Amino acid sequence: MIKLNDISIRNKLILMQVFTSVVVFGIVFGVFIITDISSYKQRKADSMISLAQVIGTNSISSIQFQDPESATEILQELHTVAPEIIHAAITNDEGEIFANYSKSGLDSFKIPAYILRNRSSVFTEHQLFVANPIVSNNKVIGKVYLEVQLTELQQIKEYKYKIAIVLLLVALVFSFLIALLIQSYISKRLLKLVKTMKNVRKTGEFSKPVNDTGKDEIGTLTKAYNLLMEEIEESQRKKDEFIGIASHELKTPLTSIKGYVEMLNLMEDDPTKKQFVGKALGNINKLESLVKDLLDVSKIQSGQLQLNMNEFNMDELIDEAIAASQVNTGTHQIIREDHPGNEIIYGDKQRIEQVLLNLLSNAIKYSPGESKVIVDTKKNEKEFIIKIKDNGIGVPAEEQLEIFERFYRTKDISIHISGFGLGLYICRDIINRHYGRIWVESTGKGSIFYFTLPLKHTLSTQQTEV
Amino acid sequence: MNTLFKKYFLLIFLCPFCGSLSAQQNAEQEANLKAAFIYNFTKYIDWGSYEHGNDFIIAVAGESPITQSLQEIARTSRVDDKIMIIKKVARPSDIDDCNILFITKECRYPLDFLLKKAGPGVLTISEEDGFAERGTAFNFVILNDRLKFEANLKAISSAGLKAGAQLLKLAIIVD
Repeated sequence: MIKLNDISIRNKLILMQVFTSVVVFGIVFGVFIITDISSYKQRKADSMISLAQVIGTNSISSIQFQDPESATEILQELHTVAPEIIHAAITNDEGEIFANYSKSGLDSFKIPAYILRNRSSVFTEHQLFVANPIVSNNKVIGKVYLEVQLTELQQIKEYKYKIAIVLLLVALVFSFLIALLIQSYISKRLLKLVKTMKNVRKTGEFSKPVNDTGKDEIGTLTKAYNLLMEEIEESQRKKDEFIGIASHELKTPLTSIKGYVEMLNLMEDDPTKKQFVGKALGNINKLESLVKDLLDVSKIQSGQLQLNMNEFNMDELIDEAIAASQVNTGTHQIIREDHPGNEIIYGDKQRIEQVLLNLLSNAIKYSPGESKVIVDTKKNEKEFIIKIKDNGIGVPAEEQLEIFERFYRTKDISIHISGFGLGLYICRDIINRHYGRIWVESTGKGSIFYFTLPLKHTLSTQQTEV
Repeated sequence: MNTLFKKYFLLIFLCPFCGSLSAQQNAEQEANLKAAFIYNFTKYIDWGSYEHGNDFIIAVAGESPITQSLQEIARTSRVDDKIMIIKKVARPSDIDDCNILFITKECRYPLDFLLKKAGPGVLTISEEDGFAERGTAFNFVILNDRLKFEANLKAISSAGLKAGAQLLKLAIIVD
């Protein structure tokens, strides 16, 4: 059973139109055929009754003078006068057959008197029976019976059915075409709205209004949508502003706290106290990195993120990042698989390191302890490719694009890992600003994060292309 | 068995209505039939200006069971709303002012005399072979065991009468 809600509005409109017209035309044709056939039957019955009357009148003397031959002669004439009459009979006042006629090749007539007990004409499926009294001097002296083969009626019926079916098909086609034409004024506009919504979701650009000049419900919907988008944009702007201010305001006291705690850490000798201070410092570092992330996002949003471009040795940077990450993890093993060269990259060293640290920290966070994280690099004519492979939970195919969005957290509720969901967003932004690419490949068991950076000699051409 | 019985039953039952006169049927039935025919003739004959008197008189010349049969009909039926009177021709003057003169086989008067006496306005009917040729308007004959009638158109028109087409189509026309 198809749910009506699952059918698209476009198809619903077409279905509605086509169904309505089929029903309406069906009823109209039905009534038309029924009245037509019944009026044909009425006319046929009337004409046959008249014929029976004529035969009756002509047979009065035959009955009175008991001359069945002359009555039979009259009936024989039916052969040419009314070929559709297959049986005819004249009975006398006692109801006995006085004269009869059967079309050649047919059995003799058996009067279905039970059919005509009280009526002058009766229709069966293929026949019409007519009975008409023969009256002389106000006395019924006999009856004329006729059996008419309704071949013409069958032909008429068939013809009408054919016409009705053809007309119905034509109506169907026309209503389909009309519906197709009309639906575009409804569903096309809705689909346009949906497309814009999808686009907004993808790009986060709320400021693009949908143009729809219609004054109907869809026009109203579009207007409401545009207003909503304006409001969302406004609140988004306020939120970004807030994040910017808040992260900035948080950073200052946090830096101060960190300084003091670091000093405490250096000064403290008591192992228990030193442990506590160490823990506090660890959490301060976490907090600091979160605030930094927030600040970065805020900068990205407001377009204030500036890159400090310089030439630097990428291989050295990778080694440094691995070393730094290795310190922070006790159990995981970070292995560099390639043979480091001395690749010089033009970019913001600090920001690229941020990306590397982020990806490595993710690899550690999302994979079980004591597993290996493998770092590999490759180079083609245009770009330097960095590959970070883990044996973690992997990324489902449908999430592989979304994980690079702001505040995106995995949909898998069984995974509880703290964070704002900003790391990959920032990574993507940094890599994009370097004219590189970042993506993930995952087969369910572990994932591989790639990012590329353009080689120095290709950078100038890429910049001009963009 | 049942159908066979029905067939015979139908045959026996239908015979009188077919006008078939088999050897077994007696004269009375023949007389009844002839009387009915005579009565039915009245429906197709137009007496025109000769339609006079308050009664419709049928004169029967000669002794015949037909008189009886006609009287039976006269008891229940009328001709043009007139009472039917059946009378035997005892004297030639009885033929005056009658509408139909039926000349039986037993009639003692010569035909020519009766025809002369009848004159215009009287429908003459006979039941002897050759009488129609000799001048009666209608004459009963038996053909193939069936009662039929001959019609002499000249006799009908010279009597100043008109016979309906429906009647004449059933008649054997003679000159």
